Amino acid sequence: MAVLGIPILEDLYPSTMDMWPLEAKEFNRNWMFYENLKQGRLTTTKCKDCGLVSYPPRVICPECYSENLEYIDLPKKGKVIVFSEEVKGVPLGFQSPLIHAVIDLGVDPARRVLSRITNCAAGTLQRGDEVQLAVFPVPALPIDKGKLGTIMSERVFFAFEPVKK
Amino acid sequence: MARNAVILAGGQCKWGVREAHLVDLFQEAAKACFDDIPTLKPKDVDGLIVASSYAGRCSFQVNTAPVIAERVGVKPTSICTRCDTLCAGGSTGIILAMGLVQAGAADIVMVAGGEKLYTPQKWEVFYSELASVDHDWDGVHGMGLPPPFFALTAQEHMMHYGTTKEQLAAVSVANYNYATTNPVAQMQKALTLEEAMNAPVVVPPLTLYDCCPITDGAAVCIITTDEIARKFTDRPLVYIRGTAQVCLNSVSANFPGVHLADWKHTRIAAEKAYTRAKVSASDIKVAQTHDCFSISEVIEVEDLGFCKKGEGGEFCGSKQIEIGGKVPINTDGGLLACGHPFGATGIRQGTEIMKQLQGRARHQVKDADIGLTHNLSGANAEHTILIYGKEPVK
Ligand SMILES: [Zn+2]
Repeated sequence: MAVLGIPILEDLYPSTMDMWPLEAKEFNRNWMFYENLKQGRLTTTKCKDCGLVSYPPRVICPECYSENLEYIDLPKKGKVIVFSEEVKGVPLGFQSPLIHAVIDLGVDPARRVLSRITNCAAGTLQRGDEVQLAVFPVPALPIDKGKLGTIMSERVFFAFEPVKK
Repeated sequence: MARNAVILAGGQCKWGVREAHLVDLFQEAAKACFDDIPTLKPKDVDGLIVASSYAGRCSFQVNTAPVIAERVGVKPTSICTRCDTLCAGGSTGIILAMGLVQAGAADIVMVAGGEKLYTPQKWEVFYSELASVDHDWDGVHGMGLPPPFFALTAQEHMMHYGTTKEQLAAVSVANYNYATTNPVAQMQKALTLEEAMNAPVVVPPLTLYDCCPITDGAAVCIITTDEIARKFTDRPLVYIRGTAQVCLNSVSANFPGVHLADWKHTRIAAEKAYTRAKVSASDIKVAQTHDCFSISEVIEVEDLGFCKKGEGGEFCGSKQIEIGGKVPINTDGGLLACGHPFGATGIRQGTEIMKQLQGRARHQVKDADIGLTHNLSGANAEHTILIYGKEPVK
């Protein structure tokens, strides 16, 4: 039922309440990260001038301020260093259990990446377990293009999931 | 001739689940502050710094400084602005006010911090907290809510240093018991070690009393120069001797320590603040640490230099944080028992240290002459330290 004056209840999409990144190239110069993710690749940027690999990706090298960057692949598998399981008080948009882990992807600077662990029942994960990249679709972003109308920009995001033993 | 900054007065409203609007809380806290220094009037204040990070999300109010100025009845002519460093907002405000009065750009600055976190629908608080960290890289993983992050931190401290659950519980017991006599604290219940050990699980290994509550509240203090302060009070003056605020990362993947329990940024902030204040860790007679979680206080006593790295559990578990111990800490109840309305916390901490150094604290530390406050903010991204003393740095 639409309630006037409250857009969230008028079937409009309030992106200021959006828990997902604005991945579209209209709003994010890191859009290649998300395009790569749609291909199942976890990537980040490397500076072609000074060689610095940054995670997360950048549009300008934080070391030498060069704009001459390229996307490189990060490993898709890693090992769990520590993890936490949240059962109660999980925020809107997440299912219980909400599991977080510090994952070693084995390369710098991604030796301690903090990620959500999905497709994993409570009480089953262990330290040292191998996990792999899990890419999943998230709600498309409606973008107002003026006279052209509203387009739907498809989106994905990632977590890690246990590798079946 | 350089001007010396002092903290002249401070006060807070009752913290907890409040039936009040954000601006009501600011008014109550301002009244408590002026009650603390009855000779000072709102018209004497020429600067205002407002510390509030959630006004925009929870009260639909941004551009808070003029709104708060009008409501608390001050008419700033030197500075009127907001600062947003979440849990450290109050401390950041005091540092900025200090700089302004030392430089002669302002004379009497009110630093006012507050948050109204309880919304009519409680789920909105948890959702809004996702905005406290880098939205695209951590918030999106559900990491804005602090308990999971500090549970990982506690696990790493236990793994690397053998810290026990009982040592964590000792922090909660000490801080809760200080707050039993604090009428404006959110929690005023005496806590036993047994109760703390048997409390419901939040995120393992953290249980209920290991975590500070969600809190509505505000606090206000006044920063001015020693010369101006003497016109308003005969109390001993409390100088801001040295400060530091350090931020080495925001995204969790780039945490600066070798593991989550290794707080390199705290150590750098402490070293800078000690150097500027011309004191060392052993000079600190009383402290306020950022005990958002019991594990935080354990790590802070190490990285602030009160004990060796890895011995924080033992230090806290052996009553060194209590009156009569090496460094009495959080003598008003800390975040664990007072609660933590983010922007207000650093002001509450500074006010308690001021009272300790003036000999009028509720749980008075004998002969306290140097005190320290410490905040961390975000997912352990920033560290903010202020050192107060009864004498200026010479
Ligand atoms: Zn570079």
